[in-house]
Amino acid sequence: MSTLAPIVCDNGTGYSKIGFAGNSDPSFVFPTAIATRDSATSSSARGPPLPAKPGHLASKRGIEDLDFYIGDEALANSKTYGVHYPIRHGMIDNWDLMERYWEQCIFKYLRAEPEDHYFLLTEPPLNAPENRENTAEIFFESFNIKGLYIAVQAVLALAASWTSNKVASRTLTGTVIDSGDGVTHVIPCAEGYVIGSAIKHIPIAGRDISQFVLNIMRERGEMAVVPPDEQLKVASKVKEDYSYVCQDIVREFRKYDADPYQYFQRYDGEHSVTGRKYSVNVGYERFLAPEIFFNPEIFSSDFLTPLPEIVDGVIQASPIDVRRGLYKNIVLSGGSTMFDHFGQRLKRDLKNIVDKRIELSQIQSGSAMRSSGIEVNVVSHKRQRYAVWYGGSLLASLPEFYSSCHTKADYEEVGPSICRRYTIFGSVN
Amino acid sequence: MILLESHSVIIQTTLVDKFNKPSSIDVQFVDFDGVRFHMHTPDRERKSLVQLSMSIRCWDELAKYGANDILQREYGQYLSSAPEQQYNVSLDIDVEQFPAEEEARTAVIRSLALIKRNVLAAPFERAFTAQQSLEANAGAVGELMAIHYRDEEAIYVQAAHDRVTVIFSTTFTEETDRIFGKVFLQEFVDARRLPTIQNAPQVLYSSRDPPLEIRDVKGLASGDDVGYVTFVLFPRHFQRPEVAESTISHIQLFRDYLHYHIKCSKAYMHSRMRFRVSEFQKVLNRAKTEVATTDKKTISGRTLVSR
Repeated sequence: MSTLAPIVCDNGTGYSKIGFAGNSDPSFVFPTAIATRDSATSSSARGPPLPAKPGHLASKRGIEDLDFYIGDEALANSKTYGVHYPIRHGMIDNWDLMERYWEQCIFKYLRAEPEDHYFLLTEPPLNAPENRENTAEIFFESFNIKGLYIAVQAVLALAASWTSNKVASRTLTGTVIDSGDGVTHVIPCAEGYVIGSAIKHIPIAGRDISQFVLNIMRERGEMAVVPPDEQLKVASKVKEDYSYVCQDIVREFRKYDADPYQYFQRYDGEHSVTGRKYSVNVGYERFLAPEIFFNPEIFSSDFLTPLPEIVDGVIQASPIDVRRGLYKNIVLSGGSTMFDHFGQRLKRDLKNIVDKRIELSQIQSGSAMRSSGIEVNVVSHKRQRYAVWYGGSLLASLPEFYSSCHTKADYEEVGPSICRRYTIFGSVN
Repeated sequence: MILLESHSVIIQTTLVDKFNKPSSIDVQFVDFDGVRFHMHTPDRERKSLVQLSMSIRCWDELAKYGANDILQREYGQYLSSAPEQQYNVSLDIDVEQFPAEEEARTAVIRSLALIKRNVLAAPFERAFTAQQSLEANAGAVGELMAIHYRDEEAIYVQAAHDRVTVIFSTTFTEETDRIFGKVFLQEFVDARRLPTIQNAPQVLYSSRDPPLEIRDVKGLASGDDVGYVTFVLFPRHFQRPEVAESTISHIQLFRDYLHYHIKCSKAYMHSRMRFRVSEFQKVLNRAKTEVATTDKKTISGRTLVSR
């Protein structure tokens, strides 16, 4: 039985990534959505339905709790079912729905018997320990799983960066920039432990970039030929397929103006309903889209701090003895960090900030002291998109994984509070 | 979802993806009852060639009951002569040779995703044909076929002149599961009395004592947590080929079906419990006495603040 691979399950706010440890990609990536019979609003007021009257069970019609869909099927059935999103801001919000969501994840999609498998789940940084206990209760008592490990997403993203050939040692110290669809986090980790007091959130992520691309293309009049219901889709396609990070905006603009035929590209699409074909020009948004991380003032007026400054602030807010490690290992994770040259630009800007500060302190010391300088390194790698899942898959296929898990026997001995602590493993220091 | 599906969603989606966009893959995954799959592109140059290997615990028994013939029948053109190491069956699939028409392609992919179901169908199909040959002489019974599909559980299939008997031995490791399971299994027996499902196969449930058909089999587990579920299939359940197909698909997944529903009912009870707790909390909150907030004044009119 021990030959069966552990199941790695990363439930995010937008998408769930589930699969088996040892693989390089998750088997399933689908929205964390569940469609149930009751409408989206009334469910919380009534509670689950009660069976009608005693008698033997078979005569009853009480199977409403089995009538639901998850993932893509949930969205496909949104006309007749109410769609719910059980996870909000990374934390599980509705445990009833989440339990049923997992039920179908395991039995319908993974087709695994939970009794035979170890599970690795993920949690956001600063997750309440009560949430872990609830998760453990569901997994050990409903599903009778063999063993459970709940890992912090940022730590898994660090583990995923070991795949990059630029990384020499397998360390769990570093700064994680995790940018998904809804929000971007900058999380410092020291030897596998998150430095909670220094975490910063940036309200700019994938969704905002798509919106920004849409705005630019609308202003230029490109979107006139695109049907209104597909405009956002086209914008996010442009963002994903054509965008890159430039090193200097002014030079880039000049380059485009000098030779527009080389740099402007065409995007061809087809309306999904009518089948009408359309084609739009893709221009400045190619480099302007990811630029909102570095110059947020071009997009929003209430959030104005560029990403490199935030990263610097986060590291400066961390304990002084880990700062060198944090600068040395800055790891990208999530779909919105996939732009070409994103890492290089971040590294350059951050290096400028750090060098300036060192220079200043040298002058203040009367030029008597010289600094040996600080190494700034941004790691980007192939597995960035599903970095958290990949890190989980990597850690769960290590032999130490099984001894770091809480097994069912441990759980029954101690109770759910056992899940308040987990051992960090896998790093070589 | 009441019934579990018999095809593997991973095989299906991976093959569809591969057809749309050939790329190299190497994935390992599982199916119910400890079945392991390995799907990879062995040849770096030819990315359209996918090898799908399956390892199933009771392969030797299944092979004895004719699983190879079924594989030959269903996947003749794909079947690899030498299975991959550590696996029992290997199929070499060239996604470029899938039919171009959408419908035919979906059918091919679906049949590939049913590989586990088809392999496990061998003893059932054999029993169905055995029943037909035994029909003439009353009282004759066919060979008792045992499939040890899990470590502690087995399926026994036996044909007789007028019926096919399928016996599942079940064990529950978990105390709660055992209780739920007993209720469920008892319900199977009771539910059949309903007039609408009179044509369903007869179900018998016995705990501890094995049924007569397998009483003399050696090495049967005994103890409190062992139960036996017997399905009696009559010719009307397998005479027409399409009915036989669905009978096999459903009966194979019986154990997983049972365990899935045990889990579902636990989840349902948990959601009732959560609802109850939140209701009680509301009651408790209402019962809180209001804190007296009358200001105490000194004679000069200043407010007295307690420390």
